[in-house]
Amino acid sequence: MIKFLLKCVLLIGFGSAIAATKPEDIKQFTLKNGMTILVVEDHSIPNANMYLFWKVGSRNEVPGITGLSHFFEHMMFNGAKKYGPKQFDRVMEANGGANNAYTTENLTVYTNWFPADSIEKMFDLEADRIQNLAIDEKMVESERGVVTSERSTGLENSNVRMLMEEVKGSAFRAHPYGWSVIGHQSDIDSWSLKDLKDFHRTYYAPNNALVVISGDVTLKQVKRLAKKYWEPIPAQQEPQKVRTVEPEQKGERRVYVQKPSASSANIMFAYHVPETSHEDYYPLEMLANILGNGDSSRLSRSLIDEQQLATSVFTYFPRAFDPNLFYVYAVAAKDVDAKKLEKALIKEINKVIRDGVEAKELAKEKNSAQVDFYRTLSTINGKSNTLGTYALFFGDHKKMFSAVQDMGAVTAEDIKRVASAYLRKANRTVGILDSAEDSQEEDL
Amino acid sequence: MKLVKRIIGASLALLSLSSMAAFKIPVYEKYKLDNGLEVYLMQQTEVPLIDISLTIKAGAIHDEKSYGLANLTGESLMFGSGKLSKTEIEDKLAFHGAELYSSTGMESSDLSMSIAAKDQKEMLKLLQSIVLKPKFDKDEFDKFKKRLSNQLIQRRESPRNVIGSVFGKMYYGEHPYGNPVIGDLKSIEKVKLDDVKSFYSKYYTPNNAAIIVVGDFEKKSMKKQIAKLFSNWKGQAPKAKVLPLVNPKTDSNVWIINKEDATETTFMIGGKGINSSHPDYVAAEVINTILGGRFTSWLNDELRVNSGLTYGARSGFSDHSVAGSFAISTFTKTRTTFEAVDLALKTYEKLWEKGIDAETLASAKAYVKGQFPPDFETSGQLAALLSRMWVLGLDDSFINDFEAKVDSLNVESANKLAKKLFPRENLQFVLVGKALEIKEKAKNYGKIKQMDIDKFTY
Repeated sequence: MIKFLLKCVLLIGFGSAIAATKPEDIKQFTLKNGMTILVVEDHSIPNANMYLFWKVGSRNEVPGITGLSHFFEHMMFNGAKKYGPKQFDRVMEANGGANNAYTTENLTVYTNWFPADSIEKMFDLEADRIQNLAIDEKMVESERGVVTSERSTGLENSNVRMLMEEVKGSAFRAHPYGWSVIGHQSDIDSWSLKDLKDFHRTYYAPNNALVVISGDVTLKQVKRLAKKYWEPIPAQQEPQKVRTVEPEQKGERRVYVQKPSASSANIMFAYHVPETSHEDYYPLEMLANILGNGDSSRLSRSLIDEQQLATSVFTYFPRAFDPNLFYVYAVAAKDVDAKKLEKALIKEINKVIRDGVEAKELAKEKNSAQVDFYRTLSTINGKSNTLGTYALFFGDHKKMFSAVQDMGAVTAEDIKRVASAYLRKANRTVGILDSAEDSQEEDL
Repeated sequence: MKLVKRIIGASLALLSLSSMAAFKIPVYEKYKLDNGLEVYLMQQTEVPLIDISLTIKAGAIHDEKSYGLANLTGESLMFGSGKLSKTEIEDKLAFHGAELYSSTGMESSDLSMSIAAKDQKEMLKLLQSIVLKPKFDKDEFDKFKKRLSNQLIQRRESPRNVIGSVFGKMYYGEHPYGNPVIGDLKSIEKVKLDDVKSFYSKYYTPNNAAIIVVGDFEKKSMKKQIAKLFSNWKGQAPKAKVLPLVNPKTDSNVWIINKEDATETTFMIGGKGINSSHPDYVAAEVINTILGGRFTSWLNDELRVNSGLTYGARSGFSDHSVAGSFAISTFTKTRTTFEAVDLALKTYEKLWEKGIDAETLASAKAYVKGQFPPDFETSGQLAALLSRMWVLGLDDSFINDFEAKVDSLNVESANKLAKKLFPRENLQFVLVGKALEIKEKAKNYGKIKQMDIDKFTY
């Protein structure tokens, strides 16, 4: 019966015109325990998702427990009261669902994707691990091995990962953004059961979460299930604020990483920039794209195409609750000296500071933002992930819908201003990864 | 920086493991122009976007000994066309927020474009010009070749990047499916612009191509545009290549790829698989879901969850039209290399020794069906699906009968098929890691061949 019904929904879904999601299609409600839930009804496929955004990431850690947020992302799958070890995944998959999770400096996000008719099971599974996670000692030990493998495979396979860890560590000397999300190996080896229990109680409280559900569901159904499964979970005291403010950087910092198997130099620049809710966010994001996003970007055109000094370049400007970094990355072409590439990068950045950007570059960014917005709206996952991101980093999910307009308001002058304000030498950390030993010959 | 819990489905590129389940393919229209070009039109109106795939049946299997020729040809189309230079094309696309990728696979090449519906006229014209009027600019070609060589060298820094092509070469040997798609350092060096031009003239012809348009467009006007732009395309490709059989393996080989500064060993173990249009392909996918195709699969459960040896372990079949391979893949720290290899083998043996029980089979069936619809949610995904079906010669039943095929599997047939479809004897091993520490024990698994990661050419 249900299967038959599903098929009908499916056929109707494809046959009729489905309109793109509008701001008024997003429904929001808050449970008595403070848990906020956004719902997007989208019947284009007979599936739905559930994105749980927990406001905890590596910025909430302290020395000794670095990497614990990410470790928790793993532990949340290792058994609770009703659903014991392995049961979360087994029950979910047997119900046609799949899941994943990711941790950043700011957030831990759990993602469930499932046939819409399994939705009640998803609420049940989540309620169990939110309220009654069993932190079993044996599981903790085995999971340390898994995370250690994850850490080392990242370092083994990715120069970016290896270099970034060092650059962040140098760019921040006070704020927790200084350590990598995966944490120090010594902390992974040694955090205690008590550390884990405290962490779960503090951060996995319903009042510290935002949930977005998109897909073939109804608001009424979601409300009923949320009340039944999640509202009984008690709220906790608000977690402590992150107090540390990174002191101003007074001059360029440099790090060098030797990796014998590197075949050419990798360079990373990191500049301190404000938090995402700051008014300079969009000018900086557009600057990041103009510099390093795609073949037509300035760095790509100049360093890869014209001068052939690099084989790849990109910029990375992550969203953040606290002031964080604006990254520029380049991989040198064979036999190109790191110094030469570094100079060429700086020259391009300085051009923006000196001459600003062209009107057509601005127009390009605005047009791309519009098309990308539609790409986001074309999947239920794009909707959930992006709505959650805007709600948390910009303070309101509706900002997702005005993003294109907000970018439209940015002027060439704004971009020149932020480039001059932030992409300065004194505000920069330079990291170089290469195969040679950091030789002391010149010192002697 | 994001750290993701699972890597299932994300790495070790040789394997294609698309989960497919209960779903009907959306309505589309298919017709042929007089010059032989196949046209597929599928309307999707949720967002004002259009995805276009122009697919050519020319891939690495057509390289002959010039490994990378098909790939270089696909890339060369982007070096300027008609009156536009390479950078002018890039600027034009970027200005419209359009994306255009040239990608080459084992059996086909594809230009895929994602555009705003309102730009369709201009962007279709641009696509036509790129495919039909390439300039094959010499300077751009030389620059690209140099960059590609650089990138091939850089790829060797990451075991995960190279292990798939090494396994392919090892398993298929001189068979065309063993050709490295991106190419080989030595062969790329030798490829001349004239080789690219003749490959283009030979294979980039309307009777060897399909144009697939999915998204928010008006059908009548789209048909008109396509007729106007592509009717004058001329040429005849040679008859489709008949691929030889893959020689069966009669012994086990172990290829060790030495990486001096490795802290872990990345490995693949595999053998004979099946082709994509094999009548039991769906059954094989369901069984593989149990073995190594999802988080709770036997392999991931044993190697990750129970033992903490790795961050992820998986298995899967290749996606080729006439023959196929199967492989298990994972990684672990150097010290536990053989603990992991043995555990992988022991877990794999369960297919023969213990078999699949009813509960596990029911779960796998629910899983592949439940995870199917999101794979075909966007215009881009649907365009890629139609392109793949065209290349591999699959009809709508490939999608439409999926649920029935999954449902028809029972414990008895699943166990019977598992023993038939998965290779048990003469397994092949690739280990990328520190040779000094793993070589001795590796001898127990087969005939050893050792190479340095920074020396081999693909």
